[in-house]
Amino acid sequence: MFQEILVGLIVIAAFAACVWKLMPARRRLRALVALDAWAARRPALAEFRERSLRPRIAKAVGSGCAGCAANVGVRPHHRPR
Amino acid sequence: MKSTDLNSTSLPLAELRRGDVALVTGLANNSVLPQNANDAALLSRLRDLGFTAGARCEVMARMWLGGDPLVVRVGGSTFALRRAEASAVCVQRLQEQVRPSAALEPKDASAATA
Amino acid sequence: MDATVTPLRVALVGVPNCGKTALFNRLTGSRQKVANYPGVTVERREGERVAADGRVLRVLDLPGTYSLNPTTLDEAITRDVLLGRLVDAPSPELVVCVVDAVHLPIGLRLVLEVKRLGLPMVLALNRMDVAKRRGVKIDAARLAQELGVAVLPTVAVRRGGADTLIDAIESAKWAGHRGLSSPAWQETTAEDAEQFQSDLRGILAAVGYAPPADNDLGKRVDVVLLHPLGGLLVLAVIMFLMFQAVFSWAEAPMDLIERAMAALGAWVGAHLPAGALSSLLVNGVIAGAGSVLVFLPQIILLFFFILALEDSGYLPRAAYVLDRWMGFVGLSGRAFIPLLSSHACAIPGIMAARTIPNWRDRLTTIMIAPLMTCSARIPVYTLLISAMIPNRAIGWFNLRGLIMFGLYVGGILSALLVAFVMKQFAGKRQYSPLMLELPDFQWPHGGNLLLGLWERVKIFMNRVGGIILALMIVLWFLSTYPAPPLDATGPAIQYSFAGKLGALLEHVFRPIGFNWQISIALVPGLAAREVAVGALGTVYAMSAAGDDLSSQLQPVIASGWSLATACSLIAWYVFAPQCLSTLAVVKRETNSWRYPLIMAGYLFALAYIAAFITYRVVAAWA
Repeated sequence: MFQEILVGLIVIAAFAACVWKLMPARRRLRALVALDAWAARRPALAEFRERSLRPRIAKAVGSGCAGCAANVGVRPHHRPR
Repeated sequence: MKSTDLNSTSLPLAELRRGDVALVTGLANNSVLPQNANDAALLSRLRDLGFTAGARCEVMARMWLGGDPLVVRVGGSTFALRRAEASAVCVQRLQEQVRPSAALEPKDASAATA
Repeated sequence: MDATVTPLRVALVGVPNCGKTALFNRLTGSRQKVANYPGVTVERREGERVAADGRVLRVLDLPGTYSLNPTTLDEAITRDVLLGRLVDAPSPELVVCVVDAVHLPIGLRLVLEVKRLGLPMVLALNRMDVAKRRGVKIDAARLAQELGVAVLPTVAVRRGGADTLIDAIESAKWAGHRGLSSPAWQETTAEDAEQFQSDLRGILAAVGYAPPADNDLGKRVDVVLLHPLGGLLVLAVIMFLMFQAVFSWAEAPMDLIERAMAALGAWVGAHLPAGALSSLLVNGVIAGAGSVLVFLPQIILLFFFILALEDSGYLPRAAYVLDRWMGFVGLSGRAFIPLLSSHACAIPGIMAARTIPNWRDRLTTIMIAPLMTCSARIPVYTLLISAMIPNRAIGWFNLRGLIMFGLYVGGILSALLVAFVMKQFAGKRQYSPLMLELPDFQWPHGGNLLLGLWERVKIFMNRVGGIILALMIVLWFLSTYPAPPLDATGPAIQYSFAGKLGALLEHVFRPIGFNWQISIALVPGLAAREVAVGALGTVYAMSAAGDDLSSQLQPVIASGWSLATACSLIAWYVFAPQCLSTLAVVKRETNSWRYPLIMAGYLFALAYIAAFITYRVVAAWA
C-alpha cells in the first residue's frame, strides 16, 4: 500500500512538473505573480517569497529567451537602421 | 609629393586589388547601393567602424567573381564588406602591390606616399 | 527598500569582440544565470557578484554593439536596456564600458556615445597584456582625465585581472556622478557623428595611441583562410575532423554510462520488492531518463569544439568565405554563425539570427535553423544507427560514422534547398548588409571554455532531470495503467492508456512503417527530440515479458525492427519538429503565431514524405 501511495505522489508531481514546463511563458509568469499575491497575504510565507518567488519572477520577466525584447514591440519588419 | 591627375583621384574601395593600401578620403552618397538600402544609416555605420577621412586601409582578401565580399583592414580592425558597401568608401591609393600581371593597369603612377 | 540591500544593477557595454564576455565571466564566475541557453552571445546574460561589503551586484552582459544607432535587433536591445525602455528592466545604475585597448578608436567612439546618456560610468580598458605585446601604449590616467570617468586597466583572461575594476565598482567612487533617472537619447545626427570623430581624434592624440603592429602570423594564416578556395577547404576539413572526434572520442565514456545505467537498473530491481515502485524506477526513471543521460559525452565534446571555434575568432572568417555561395540560396554570410550554432541547439541559433539586419534573411535563417542536425537528434540517430548498421570499417572510416556524417550533410542540404525555395517566393531581393568584423585570432581561453561547457552540462542535466524525467514518469504511468485483465495474452503495455493511444496513432503512422511503440514515443517526443529515446526505452522495458527487466534498448530494437522502419524513423527525425521549445522561441522571435505554425507545418509534411519514401524504398530493396 505504501508503495502505491508513494508512486502515486511521484506521478502526480511529475505530471504537475510537465504541465508547468510546457506552459507558455506568459501564462507561467501570470501564475507566478498570482502565487506571489496570494503569498503576500500570509506573513509566514514572507521568506519563501523573498528567497525563491521573487527571483523566479524577475528571471521570468527579464530573461526567458528574450521574452521581454519581443514584448516591447521591436518590430522585426520596420526597424530603424 | 608628386602626383599625377589620376593618382589623386578618389576611387571606390571596391575597386582596389588584394594587397592594395589606400587612404580613405570620404564616404560617398552616390554609391552603387541598390534601391532599398538605407544610405544614411549605412554610411554612418561605415564611419563608426573606422572608415573616416584620413584612415589608412588595406585590402586583405577578395572573393572570386567581382570581389563581393572583400576583407579590409582599417584602424587596426578587420572587416568583411559587400562590394556595395565598399563602393561607398572613397579612397586614394597609397601603394600598389607589385605583381607580375599588374603591368596592364592604365597609367597608374607607382607609390606616392601621403 | 534599504539601499544596501537592493542589488546594484551593473551593465557591461562594448563593441563586439572586446572581451566583454570574458570580463563578465571574471566578475561573476560561475554565478551566472544565462537566460536558458548560452552559445553565440546574443541573449541577455545575467550574473551576480557579492561585493566585499556584502552588497549584491547584478551584472548584465549586453550584446556587443558598434553604436547606439542600431542596425540589428541585438544592438537595439543593448540600446533599449541602457535607456530603460524594456518592460520591467530599469536602466542600469552603473555602466561599465569595456574597451579593447588594442582597438581603442572603435571602442572609444562608442564610449563617447554612451557617455552622452548621462548614466554613471566607468571604463574598463581590457586586453592590456595584448596591447603591450603589440606595442600599443595608452596613457590611462590621461584618458581618465579627458573623459572624466574612471579608467581601470583589466586583463579579463587572467586571474585577478579584473581586480582594479572590482575595487572601483565596490568602493562606489563613481556614485557621485548620478545623472538622469531616465537617460535621454536621440538618434545621432551627421553633426553629432562629426563631433564624435573630432573628439575621438583629440583624445587619441592626447593619450598617445598608435595602431598596433601587424600580427604577421595572423596575416599569413589569413591568406589561406580568406582564400576563396582555400578557405572552403579548410572549413570542410575542420568540420569533418570535429565531427569524427566527437563521435569516436565519445564512444568509451558513453559505453561506461550505459553499463552504469544497466547495473543500476539491475541493482534496483534486485533490491526492491517487485511492484509499482520498482517498475517506476527501473522502467520509468532508469530506462527512460537514463537512456538519454548516456549521450552526455557527445554533447560535451560537440560544445567543446563549437565554443573553441567561437573563441578563436575563426567563425566570422568562415562566414566571409561562405557568404557568396549562401547568397545563391538567399542567405547572408551572417547566417553562418546562427546556423552553425544550430548544430548544437536550434534555439540559440534562432536567437543569434538577431545579428542579421535584413528581415527576410533573418526569417529564412530562422525557418531553416531546425533542419540543422542539433545535438538532441544525436541520441536518436546513434541509437538507430548502432542498432541497425553493422560496425564495419570502410577504408579509414567507419560505416556508422559515415552514415552519421551523411545525416549531417543531409540536414544542411535540405536547409539550403528550403532556403532556395523560400527565395523564390520572396520577390525582389532586398540589400542585405554584411559589415562583419573579423576579430584577431586568439587561443581559446581554457577558463572561458570550461565555464561555457559547464553551463552546457548544467542545461543538459537540467533537461534530463527535469522535463525528460517528468515526462518519463508520466509515460510510465500511462503505460502501466490500466493494468491488463487477468486473462491477458499480449504484453501488459498494450492494455494501458499509452498502448491504446499508440494503437490509434499507428493508423496514422503505419504507411511510413512505424509500429505502435514508435507512435507512442513520438508523443512525449514532441517536448524534446531525445525524449523519444527515453520513451522507447520505457515502452520497450514495459513490453519486456516477465523478469526480463533489461534496460538495454538497442538489442531490442536491433532484433525487433526492420531496417526499413529504422531508416524511416531516421528520415522522420531529419525533418520533424519534435521540439516544442523551438517553436516557442520562433514565436517569440518573430512576434507572431504564423511563422511557428508554418514551420511546424512544413517540417511535419517534409518528415512524413521523407519517411514514406524511405520506408518504401528500403523495404523494396532490402
